[in-house]
Amino acid sequence: MKRIMLNALDKSLLKAVADLEELPQGAYNIRKNGRLLARETSANIDIETTGEGTGIIVKIKPGSRNESVHIPVVLSQAGLFDVVYNTFLIGEYADVTIIAGCGIHCGTAAPEGHAGIHEFRVGKGAKVKYVEKHFATGPGKGRRTLNPTTRVFLAEGSHVEMELTQIGGVDEANRTNESTLAAGSLLLITERVMTDGNQEAVSKNAIILAEDNSRANMISRSVIKGNSKQNFYATIEARARCFGHIECDAIIMDNGINETTPSLKALHPDAELSHEASIGKIAGDQLMKLMSLGLTYDEAVNRIIKGFLK
Amino acid sequence: MLELRDLYFSVTDTGTSNKTSYRNIIDGINFAFEEGKFYTITGPNGSGKTTLAKLIMGINPVTSGTIIYGGRDITSFSITERARAGIAYSFQHPARFKGITFRDLLSIATGIEEEGRLIEIIRQVGICSFSFLDKAVDAKLSGGEIKKIELATTIALKPKLAIYDEPDTGIDLWTIHPMVDLLKKELNEHNTTTIVISHNRAFLEAADIVMIIDKGRFIYAGDLSGSLPLLTDLSICSYRTCGEEDNVKCFR
Repeated sequence: MKRIMLNALDKSLLKAVADLEELPQGAYNIRKNGRLLARETSANIDIETTGEGTGIIVKIKPGSRNESVHIPVVLSQAGLFDVVYNTFLIGEYADVTIIAGCGIHCGTAAPEGHAGIHEFRVGKGAKVKYVEKHFATGPGKGRRTLNPTTRVFLAEGSHVEMELTQIGGVDEANRTNESTLAAGSLLLITERVMTDGNQEAVSKNAIILAEDNSRANMISRSVIKGNSKQNFYATIEARARCFGHIECDAIIMDNGINETTPSLKALHPDAELSHEASIGKIAGDQLMKLMSLGLTYDEAVNRIIKGFLK
Repeated sequence: MLELRDLYFSVTDTGTSNKTSYRNIIDGINFAFEEGKFYTITGPNGSGKTTLAKLIMGINPVTSGTIIYGGRDITSFSITERARAGIAYSFQHPARFKGITFRDLLSIATGIEEEGRLIEIIRQVGICSFSFLDKAVDAKLSGGEIKKIELATTIALKPKLAIYDEPDTGIDLWTIHPMVDLLKKELNEHNTTTIVISHNRAFLEAADIVMIIDKGRFIYAGDLSGSLPLLTDLSICSYRTCGEEDNVKCFR
């Protein structure tokens, strides 16, 4: 195996976004400051750099089982805005976990940012779990921006579960998710975003249920602290006999601002669509209950938020 | 062990006139609860039972009066301070969370995370299914399930003073007697002063002292047989049937 130098900073960012202590098992591609830092392929997973060198193509062989691929990105170079176009080609009936994420360490006043444009072509009957975490830290005042885009195309009978998390420290995030579902496919998205200070986050989601028996469930959990602001938009468009649900909950604290707009479009008479949305402070009865078990007010608030974003 | 002195809780009452007036929900209660006794408080809807429990737990602030607990004046104590001093309250309408499980609540209550010991606790409260531990305490739980969880977290605290607010709501007939036995057992083993708010005869029969509250005042404290004339006295009941000649008005 190649010897890769991970410094303490890289390690802490990798731990935060990909839960990695060391180089992972299985296939991986680690990008640092706009360049490839380390890559490993496996018998069933191939990773290539695109012709233009602006991203990677990850190919997962049909029928691969219990495989995982880590593709974290770390940034610690002042003034850099790194844009990558990654494509994931998931073979029919494969079962794979993809762990992505970006960690920014900002040490100066210069801004740093990353935009990952991820396209998933999920083969017939394949099963994908995609975990993406975003995190920024560092003493610098430079603006930290993360603009992830995911485009997901689900073939017949495929199953995609996406966990999208923005843990903290990101000043500006513009998240876009577009998905198209073929017959009998299933998409589950859980998005968790916490903002504080003067941070802003926008999440735009468009899910198209294109064929019969496709199903989608989008869950969004937002915590908006300080003077931060979050906007959440989600549209499910039903073009066949299908099922779709959007559930978006926001907890606002301090002077946080939130706009939440779930929207449903039924273009077929057998479409079943629903949504539930709520914005509000932490419920008083939840706080009282935890305080009656011996927690202080602050401990109760933290415990409720931890559960809410779990 | 718990003494209520001249306890009042008032709310503003704006009624039909524009004048602000005050209404006493708890209207001058004086009572001393003895250590290790089982009290069942009953009374008509709206008589102040839950309000009184919330005053003792510190959820509602006292308008005037004093609460003495274990010889200390706790009137200005926060909910947390009262909980840490050994008072526990089992809510009538328990909170429903998002992302918090029964296991989480038990761990918060006891500081225990080890699965074996948590299972031991839930066994004691008659929950035999271990999968129950990882149930989310959310809106999907049935009324009976959430009340069992509420009871279990209260018992897990091993309080010196336990207040159960209508613990039998949503609980099936077959579980009520075991529930009474469980509270008695806790009292006998830990000398827990137990106050149950209930309309259920099983809890009235189990009590050392039956208490009837009406319009924010205790009108009876004694044994069950002595309370029976009051329990059958319809003049206490706040529910009235409408006469045929009554018109229904909309005040909007």
